[in-house]
Formats: sequence, C-alpha cells, structure tokens
Amino acid sequence: MAAIDPTVASTTGGTGGTGDAGRPAGRVNDTRLRGRRWWKEVGWRHVVGVVVIVYCVLPLLYVLSAALNPNGSLTGSNDLFSTVSLSNFGELFGRGFGGWAVNSLVICVVTAIGTVLMGAAAAYAFSRYRFRGRRSTLTGLLLVQMFPQMLAAVAIFLLLLQLKDVFPVLGLNSIPGLIAVYLGGALGVNTFLLYGFFNTVPKELDEAARIDGASHAQVFWTIIMPLVTPILVVVGLLSFISTYGEFFIASTVLQSNSKFTLAIGLYQWASDERNAPWGLFAAGAVLAAIPVILLFLFLQKYIVGGLTSGSVKG
Amino acid sequence: MTEQTLAPRSPDVAPGDGGSDGPAPRPTVPPRPESHARRFSPGWIAKLILVGLVDALGVYGIIAAAGVESWWIVAFLVAALAVVNWAYFSRRAVPAKYLVPGLLFLLVYQLFVMAYTGYIAFTNYGDGHNSTKSDAISAIETQNQERLPDSPAFPVAVVTRGDELGFAVVQDGKAEVGTADDPLAPVDGATVQAGKVTAVPGWTVLSFADIAGRAEAVTALAVPVSDDAGDGTLRTQNGSVAYVFSPVMQYDAKTDTFTNTKTGVTYTPSDHGNFVSAKGEKLEPGWRVTVGWENFTTMFTDSRLSGIFLKVTLWTFAFAFLSVATTFFLGLFLALVFNDPRVRGRKIYRSLLILPYAFPGFLAALVWSGMLNSKFGFVNQVLLGGANIDWLGDPWLAKLSVLGVNLWLGFPYMFLICTGALQSIPGDVMESARMDGAGAWRAFRSITLPLLMVSVAPLLISSFAFNFNNFTLIYLLTGGGPDFVGAPVPVGSTDILISMVYSVAFGTGSNDYGLASAVSILIFIVVGVISWIGFRRTRTLEEL
Amino acid sequence: MRRSIFSATAVALGAALALTACSSGDSGSGDKPSTPSAAATTDAPKLTGTLTIWTDETRIDVFKKLGQEYQQQSGVKVSVVQKASADIRADFVKQEPTGQGPDIIIGAHDWTGQLVTNGTVQPIELGDKASEFSPVTVSAFTYDGQVYGVPYAIENIALVRNNKLADSTPDSLDALIAQGKQIEAKDSKVKYPFVVQQGKDGDPYHLYPLQTSFGAPVFKQNDDGSYTDTIAMGGDNGHKFAEYLAKLGKAGVLDTAIDSQKATDAFSKGQTPYIITGPWNTPAFKKAGLDITVLPVPSAGGEKSNPFVGVQGAFISAKAQNPIVANDFVTNFLGSEAVQTELYTAGQRMPALTAAADKVDDPIIKGFTAAAGTTPMPSIPAMDSVWAFWGTTEAQIISGSAKNPDSAWDTMIKNIQAAIDKSKG
Repeated sequence: MAAIDPTVASTTGGTGGTGDAGRPAGRVNDTRLRGRRWWKEVGWRHVVGVVVIVYCVLPLLYVLSAALNPNGSLTGSNDLFSTVSLSNFGELFGRGFGGWAVNSLVICVVTAIGTVLMGAAAAYAFSRYRFRGRRSTLTGLLLVQMFPQMLAAVAIFLLLLQLKDVFPVLGLNSIPGLIAVYLGGALGVNTFLLYGFFNTVPKELDEAARIDGASHAQVFWTIIMPLVTPILVVVGLLSFISTYGEFFIASTVLQSNSKFTLAIGLYQWASDERNAPWGLFAAGAVLAAIPVILLFLFLQKYIVGGLTSGSVKG
Repeated sequence: MTEQTLAPRSPDVAPGDGGSDGPAPRPTVPPRPESHARRFSPGWIAKLILVGLVDALGVYGIIAAAGVESWWIVAFLVAALAVVNWAYFSRRAVPAKYLVPGLLFLLVYQLFVMAYTGYIAFTNYGDGHNSTKSDAISAIETQNQERLPDSPAFPVAVVTRGDELGFAVVQDGKAEVGTADDPLAPVDGATVQAGKVTAVPGWTVLSFADIAGRAEAVTALAVPVSDDAGDGTLRTQNGSVAYVFSPVMQYDAKTDTFTNTKTGVTYTPSDHGNFVSAKGEKLEPGWRVTVGWENFTTMFTDSRLSGIFLKVTLWTFAFAFLSVATTFFLGLFLALVFNDPRVRGRKIYRSLLILPYAFPGFLAALVWSGMLNSKFGFVNQVLLGGANIDWLGDPWLAKLSVLGVNLWLGFPYMFLICTGALQSIPGDVMESARMDGAGAWRAFRSITLPLLMVSVAPLLISSFAFNFNNFTLIYLLTGGGPDFVGAPVPVGSTDILISMVYSVAFGTGSNDYGLASAVSILIFIVVGVISWIGFRRTRTLEEL
Repeated sequence: MRRSIFSATAVALGAALALTACSSGDSGSGDKPSTPSAAATTDAPKLTGTLTIWTDETRIDVFKKLGQEYQQQSGVKVSVVQKASADIRADFVKQEPTGQGPDIIIGAHDWTGQLVTNGTVQPIELGDKASEFSPVTVSAFTYDGQVYGVPYAIENIALVRNNKLADSTPDSLDALIAQGKQIEAKDSKVKYPFVVQQGKDGDPYHLYPLQTSFGAPVFKQNDDGSYTDTIAMGGDNGHKFAEYLAKLGKAGVLDTAIDSQKATDAFSKGQTPYIITGPWNTPAFKKAGLDITVLPVPSAGGEKSNPFVGVQGAFISAKAQNPIVANDFVTNFLGSEAVQTELYTAGQRMPALTAAADKVDDPIIKGFTAAAGTTPMPSIPAMDSVWAFWGTTEAQIISGSAKNPDSAWDTMIKNIQAAIDKSKG
C-alpha cells in the first residue's frame, strides 16, 4: 500500500504526460507542491479518481451486498447490507468453486502467455520486416476479428469432435483443447496494439545489434521484448481477463463439472430463471474478481512507471 | 520468458535520458557467439528440438487421422508440417518464423468457424431441419409406430441362435419364438416362469447385460406377429416388455417415399428438405439441404421488417460510434490523469478503475437493469431522491441508458490500453511542447493524441466492430426494448442489427440458423467494409 | 450410414464422424442396410458403455445421487452432465445429430414439440405403467399420439397468502384486491394489495390464471386435452381480459416495474398479503419465517382460473448409445415410487407417480396441486411464436404505452398468427 512505488520514484524521469522538465521524481516532489499549485496539478486528479471510483463501485455494491446476504436477491431491494454473513462464501467451496478457480487460472495464464508470445512474434514480423502479403495479412487479421460468432459454439463443437479422434488431448471436454481454441484468437486485435508499440521502438536499436552480430532471434528476445514490456503486460492482462470471463465457448467444450471454469460455473447459477442462487453467485463473482485485481496491482509496475519509457523514444 | 530477460536489462538500457533525436543509444548487448557459429548455438539446438517435436506430433496426427479416414485433417497436417519445416529451416523466411505459430492456430479455429458459418448460411439448418435425411427418415419411422389398440404387453425374452436374434413370448399360454424373418410360432419344451420364457431349446436366452450390449440390434428388431403383416410386429424398447406395433408411415427406399398405411397418401422428398404430400402436407422432421441465396434475400423481402430496418440500422451505427467515442475518451482521460507520478495512491486508483472489467459482463447488465428500474431502482430512488424516470421504458432514455451502461463496462478496457500505449510516448516530447508555450490541451491535441493513435487506432476500429455486434449487452439490459408498439416482429428502440436478427431468426417461433448466419454474414460485410476503409485511413498515421 | 452434417463441404470429415458414431455402438439408424456390420461388433457380453444424462444446475445434485444409485443397481456407468438451464435444450438439439449428445435429457414437457419436430427424441412406450402416473403428466408429454417423456414432477403457480396479514381469501380477484387495499390502508408496512411479477417484457405465464378466468385460453384444445395451433385468446373474451389488464395497470395494482426479484422480496418482507407464484419460491418464504397458505387463484373474469401446468420428466435421445439401458432408467428406475419420492424430497414438487403423490402431506405442495387444473403448458412448436408478442403486448397494456387495449390485443393476435404461419413455412 505504499503511496509511492519505489520503481516509479527512481526511474520515472520524464514519463508523465504533463511532467515538468527537470522535476525530481517522487517523494521530494510531493512535499514541494503545496496549496493552489498542488490542487491545480495534482489535487484535482484525486477528485477525478474518487468520483470515477464511486461510479465504478456503486453497482458492485449490490453484488457485494448480495454476496453477504444469506438469502438475498440481487436487485430486489435497495436496503444494501441489511444482513451481513459469510455463509455464501462458505458454501461456495462445497460446490466445486475451488476446482473451478484452479481450472480458470490454469487456462487463463497459459492462454495469456501463449497470446503474448504469438502476438509479439507476429508484431515483430510486421513491424521489422517487409514481405509480400504483409498488408493484406494485417488487414485480414483485423477483419477476421469482426466475423460474427453466432455459430461459433456449434462450429467449435464439431471441430473438436473431429480432433478428438486424432489428438484426444485437443478434443471435447479437455482443458488443453479449450486453451487451443482460445489461442486461435491470439493474433487478434492484440497484434495491432503490439504492432503499434513495436513501431515506436527505433529500428536503429536492432540495426546496431545486428552489426554486433546478433541474430534476428537475439534481437527479438533481448532487445525488443524487454523494451516493449508495458504493452506485453497489457496484452497479457487483456487476454487473461477476456478468457477469464468467457463462458460461451467454454461451456460447449468443457462438459464435466470438475473441468468447469469459474465463468461457466457462475453462468450456470445465474441462468436459473426462477431461483438463481444470487447470494452464492455474487459471492463467487466477488471472489473471482480478486485474482484479476491482484494481478493488475502486481503487474502495474511493469506497465507504467518507468521501466523504459525514456529509451523508447523515436 | 519475458521475466528472465527483464532482469539484466534495466541497467543495460539506460532509462530516461537517451536523446530523442540522433542515433539511439547502442544497447549493451550481452556477448553473443558470432553469427556464423549460430548453427551450433543453444538457440539453434532448442529450435531443432522444438521443430522436431512438432514434426513428431504432426506425423503422429497424420497417421491417426488416416486411421480414422479424416482426410481433411491429413491434408491440413501435411501442409502445416511442410510450412513449419520450410519456415524454420529456410534462412530466407524470417517473417514466417514469427508468424507461423499464431497463424496456424488462427487458421484451425477461426477460419473453421467462418467456413462453417458460411456453409450454414446457404442451408435451411434450423428447427425442423436439424440433421441429415437418413436421420429424418429414421425419426419419421420411429415416431409413427402405432401400438395396436388394446393389444397386450408381452413380457419378452430376447433369444439368439448363432447370428440370429429373436423374441420369445408367451401367447395363449404357449411359448412362441419369432425372428425378423419368421413370424411368431409355438415352440416345444420351453420353460416358462411367471409368464416369461426363461429357456428355449436350441436358443440362448440373453441376460439384461447381453441385451444392453446389443441394444441397437434388439431395439431395431421387429418380429411379425403372424404371416399377415396387418397384425403388426412385436418390438421392445427395454428388452423386457414387447408391444405389438404397426407402422403408420412406411418408407420405401426404392422410390424414396413415405406412404401412410392408413390413408394411402404418399410423401415425396421436396427440394426444401421435407417429405411432402401432393396436397402440400409436410412430414416432420425434415432434413438439412442447401437453399442457395434464399436466406440472404429473406431479410430484405420480409415485409414485416420494412418499417423497422432503417430505424434499427441508424441506431446501430449511432450506438457503435458513440460507444467507442465515450469509452475511449473517458479511458484516455483517466489514463492521462493517473499517468502523473505525483499522484499518490495511483496504483490503488488504477486497480479500482478496472473493477467493472473484472466482473462478469452479464452480471453487470443484470445489476444495472435493476438499478435503472423506474420505481424501485437505485438511480431513481436514492440518487435522484425518488424521481420516477422510466430509464428503460422510454425510447430515448433507454438508448441513453444503454450507452451509459456500456460506458461503465467499456472504459476500463480503453483505460488499460491507453495506459499501456502512453508508455511509448516519450516524456520529453511532451516537455518540449510545453516549453514552446503550448497549453496542456494543445499539447495533448497535437502531440499526445496523434502519437497514441498509432497503436490505438486499429483497436478503436475493432471496438467499433465489436459494439456493432454487441448482442449480449442489448439482450441482457433491455432485450431491445422498449418494443415498438404493435410491430409485427418483437423489435424495439434499443435493438441493434444483430439483436434484430436474433429476434427474427429465433424469437418468433422456430430457430433458423441458416437465416441467422446469412444475415450475420451480411452484417459482417458491412462492418468489414467500414473498418477496412477506416483502417486504410489510419495508414496516414502509421506508414503501413 | 448416417451422413455427415457437412456433407457438402467436408465429406471426409464426415466419414470420421460416422465412424465415431458406429464405434461407440450408436443406435437410431439400426435398420439401415449398412449398419449391421457395426452392430455385429457390439456384442460384448457385459454391460458396457456409459449412460450419459444431461440435467441443469437446479437438479444436478439429486441426479448425481440417483445416477450413483442406478450405477450400483445395474452396473452401468452413469455420467451426469450439468448444463446451464438457459442452454440445455438448444445444446441438445444442436449436438444430438452428431451422436455425441446424451442418452437422456431431463427437462420440461413443453420442450416436446421442438424436440420431436427435430427428430431428436424417441417415443417411449409406457404400456400399463401409463396409468400409474397422474393423467395430466402423461398427456403433457404426448405429442401426436406418442409419449416422449417419463414424467416425475408437476409444478404450477397459485395464490400464496401471508396468513399474518390476511386470514381469509375472497373468491373473486376484485374482492381480493379490495381486501388487499384495506390491509394496505391499515398496516403501514404493507405497500401492495397483491403482487404478480411482471418486468419490462411482461410475464404472460404469471397472468395466465387471470386470462383463463375470462375464457381466453391461448390455443384451442382437442377433446383429449392436446392442443391445436388455433389461437383461442382473441375475440370478446380476449378484449375483456385486455381491458382488465389496462384497468389494473392504471390502478397501479399491476406494474411492469415489479419483476420477479422485486415481487418475491416484497412478499418476503411482509409488504403484501398476496403473491401469485410457484413452488420454487415457497422455501424462501418459509425460511424468511412467513406463515403461508397456498390457494387457487381467485377468478377475475367469472370462469375458473387455470394456471399452466408444467411437468418435469426425462426424454430419451433418438441416438441414445444404449436405448435399452436408457429406457430402463427412465421407465423402471425414474418411474419407481422410491425414486419419485426421492425427487420430491429434493425438489419439493408434487410427484407425477400417483403412488408417490398420495404420500405427500405437505400442505403447501398439496395447495399448489389443488390449484393446478388440467391445462398443461402447450408443447406444440407454435407456442414458441406466442411468448414474445404476448409478453410485450401485456406489458404495453399494463404500462399504458399501448393506448387502446382492444386494438393492441388484436394486433398481437394478428402478429402471432403471422409468425406461426411463417414458421410453418
């Protein structure tokens, strides 16, 4: 909970969009700015932060309230937190929640890593090489993402049915099978995000390294990848979060309860029209959100704050 | 892997001070083997092992697929292996080395979905046309077996002799055995216990396990009751009780027709996948056939849609555009606000900002729809002090609500992206702008935004396309409502094209996947063209 | 041999598909000329294979237990798969043609029409056993003269009264509302004379007892209780009902702002003496400490009010891998008194088997059964064309956005008829 992240303080230099030239970073700075100037440059940001967080959190209070209410509805009442009990959380684990969480984490972590590696590799090729079909491939990648997924579940089901005979591990009801399906989307819109970022890394860097005798692989792994860490982390997070919440394909592929992900499990509870166990569902959603928040909290230092922004100048 | 390379890097690539113009500082690359030694470097060996593994898997796959005669998979694997080996062992195909893994996955999973949707768009797949013709024939046959009125239930024994399968029952106190070819006939010396045959000389009586093991043959077996076909046949569904059935619909494979044995009406297959009588009566189920471009034209010729189509299309464009604009600007604004290192606790702020993104989207839509309830919702009751604003019931307010909720759902995504993309903008570019006396706003307009757009523009386009087809939000929040009063399809003010397709193809009766696919492909073409044009325009920004 | 669903694009893939189907001892096309070879390979002497049952999240626990019981009893491996209740039917229809669907699917009788017209389920001959079930449950699963499901429970909505707020109930709805208003005037905690869940899309299911009391059933019934697809809710009786809705809407008695969560919340908190709801909510009411009585819905239009009766049961897939075991499971096991009683204990719905139903002595469950009547929810495919228009129109009449209830009702009938005609092609 340290207010100032040491990494940020020591390395930020000139990161900030509105940073002052020659301003020393971090703590010193906060003690210097006072009064109106502080309000004008920093203080208002806290006001914005608090307002937006209220906007973010307000609807989620319903979820939290329902999670703490042993027999509550989700939206039936505005008397939030009229009853507070942890019984829903206790019950969760009797319903396979723990196993689902593990499945979700495995699937999402592997998918995120795979997506980052494949996306970064593709972005490297697009950014550093000029080859035939480059533009059309890029445009194609963009367009493929827009294809309607209305029949995706049926199609994926049929495909995995076939694959089951050849590679049983990629077939139906298999976690690796589901990961492979998700990796099918690795070269998606993320590639563009990476591509754009790769383009801001000056080519002189790799040229210099090549002159020193580095191979293209060495340039990729040791020069480019470290420099683009922020965007790698962003793409990894985006992939993690979207996989984490995906239940449409997942519930088609995974069929036995022990292989469910959190998203499938929660979705199934919510899909009961008459007696959805909202308390249980809300408790599950609250717990499920924690890894995402923690992950973001932990990864933030790689996204922002100064690893390398100074040296990525073009 | 990133983690490992990260550690030694930061001291090497000095932070913060490399000049923005002139040659970039040469990074201190750790000593490497000379490039001509590369063939024997650990990297090369690793590559060899990896490609070898892929080859081994591929060859295994080819054999396995050939074993089950999946020739498409065989062909794909052969081609894929060829490409992989070419890409990694040719010295020329450098870009391919980086593109192949991702493209292979894309090809298998994404393109299959596209091809399948494309195929379905030309069929009449949907309720009543769910499977193949042979399935339809067998379904019509089994659904039209009529149990003879007042016929008794026979406790049945399933018996075999060699390959032959038969039923043994007790009729008029005597044990009788029959097979598919030989009608029931009395046998001598059979043992009968409690009305059920337990042993027949020359035949083996099957146990329940045996029957279950040959379930397919047993349930298919029809033993004629007598030489007269009109007396019906004995069939069993559970292996222990048999009933006398007579088929109402008789299929003739030679003429490919069904005949109703009671009325004598014949049904012939139509080109729309149904057995149809001369009078036009259809037998259910039908089967899946290709119907050409029919599905593509239906949407335009459906008179029920004529008044609605334009309204929905306009709103779809407005919704998609405004959704992107609002989420992007809020996300960008917040990213800028918290990109200032002087803000204490910004780590916490940022983490809380992505909360809406960390919760399941459908949950959020449900909660919002409750909060916007006109009488009891939190927004009216608590925030607006008991106002009675019909947020989801008034056509314009409902549109506003949909945008508002989508803003809540979508800005954290934009916030994340912008935060990431901002890191590529050098701080001193900004600083020099400030030195020149440019105000914060102008600096943002003329420097930050264009630079940001380089990496973000394609994402905005794809976000536009996503929202163009954002079915889930509309479906869960308003269900498209408030519905147009008296409209001949249940479509409403907040329906976008894709949710209208859903209403038409699934909402008013039988599900029609053919129609849904065709129309969603049309929508794809529209969005695709728009995005393509938009994408070409961004070229000016990023020297494609 | 079953042809692949890809027949046009991927003949070879299809070969694999068909091969899978054969090797797993699949049935359903048994009398086709080319299958005997496949059949001949399946003469394993022991009980092999797996009986796969699909069920939704609401009854997965009890069916898991039943699956184990059956497995011990018969030796067949039983695998119970949980599907989301929102998707289970559609997924079944989509996956059944591949032969990879379940052998048995647990569901509601009103799926019958869709499942049959897609050829995905097979008829079940109940034989003499048919008479052991209460008649409405068997007729609910009957389609075109054939029975397609083995019923195990009945459910329907009724009027639930909070005995602390009201101790007697008049036999007309108008009188009930008047009584409710008096209670509301006396007790400051009471906010509504009675509640029926609606929501912005309407809820014709919960209003149906009111509608039938005006003599406006949705479809015409044959003498044997089965439905035709002739719409019967139009005309004068329909108009009277529509006007009644408009009246209640104007008076604020019916309100589209009251959705299911709001309605049950209000009743649980003692804010209303009456609610029209089903047995799925009564456990929560009891848990909230309410003393409740379940009664038939009083008539609004003079005739008897009939809610839709829903029946739960088991279907057998047309491509069940082992139809014999599947049949044994649904008729002999699921249809036994012990299992029906077990399902009752777990699900708190009146058993379909008379022998098990007779032993139920819970006054609440009996109260629901007494309110049931004999009109099952229509299971004909035409019903799917009705819901959306029906709900929307009722909601528009209640909220007043449809100014003239009679013409709104007529437009609705016209639109439903058009949709039915269209889906019949």
